Amino acid sequence: MKINSNVPLEYSTEENSNKILGFWLFLGAEIALFSTLFATYFTLWNRTGNGPTGHELFELNGVLMETFLLLTSSFTCGLAIHAMRHGFKKATMVFFAITLVLGLGFLGVEITEFVTYVHDGATVSTSAFLSSLFVLLGTHGLHVSMGILWGAAIMIQIKRQGFTAETTNKSFIFSLYWHFLDVVWIFIFSFVYLKGMM
Amino acid sequence: MKQLFPIKHVMGYLFSLVLSVVALAVIFFDLSFSAAMVILLVCAILQASLQLFLFMHVSEAADTKKTLYLNIAYAVFVGLVTIFGTLFTMIWGYQ
Repeated sequence: MKINSNVPLEYSTEENSNKILGFWLFLGAEIALFSTLFATYFTLWNRTGNGPTGHELFELNGVLMETFLLLTSSFTCGLAIHAMRHGFKKATMVFFAITLVLGLGFLGVEITEFVTYVHDGATVSTSAFLSSLFVLLGTHGLHVSMGILWGAAIMIQIKRQGFTAETTNKSFIFSLYWHFLDVVWIFIFSFVYLKGMM
Repeated sequence: MKQLFPIKHVMGYLFSLVLSVVALAVIFFDLSFSAAMVILLVCAILQASLQLFLFMHVSEAADTKKTLYLNIAYAVFVGLVTIFGTLFTMIWGYQ
């Protein structure tokens, strides 16, 4: 195995840098996936039938909370990778733990929001608007849930094996995924919630 | 401590919070639809670039930098065609 010591550990082997490149290609596909969901939502957002409109449904406080939690978790995830590159194992673990807890907090707020919607009679089958809304938000929420499980699994591996070419590579790829989810959320925040509350 | 909290990351984080607050202008001020969309778009694109360049280090690997840019540009192109193509065929085309 050829190890290049001029680059961070997670890029150090050819396999490693190929994995990072491959993950970027996957993120490209994710952009396409979320675009189709946004396209659906933008087409159906005013087809509310007998159900509530976005303006009646959306609550600013919950949305701000979600945005703050996700932005902060993205920041701590960045700090985790930064600490990893300096070889601070404990700091990396702490930052990753904070990231995942904030992610869980985000999910908690989102689930509460969904439960409130359903209680108010706004379910996935109420109107075309709500179908497209739940599918868009649900897909993002599912990604966050997967990310939490994935991140937790990587933390266990760092704890057991320390920083190796493999574990740092996995951590870095996880960080790409997590920041990407934040990017998707920014667009949901702006063009679903804020536009809906205008 | 200084090594754990690089100034660039902290500034990036604060800037992203500020951008989120700026985007809130669209619900607190009575803006026209197009002005509001411009504000939302500019804030969202700045935020996305911040994540991409600062936190995701898209430009750090010299040998794959060009490939990554091309890949993202292509993905964004496909995304925009999907969104605006859908809007055109489903909504604007009928008006």
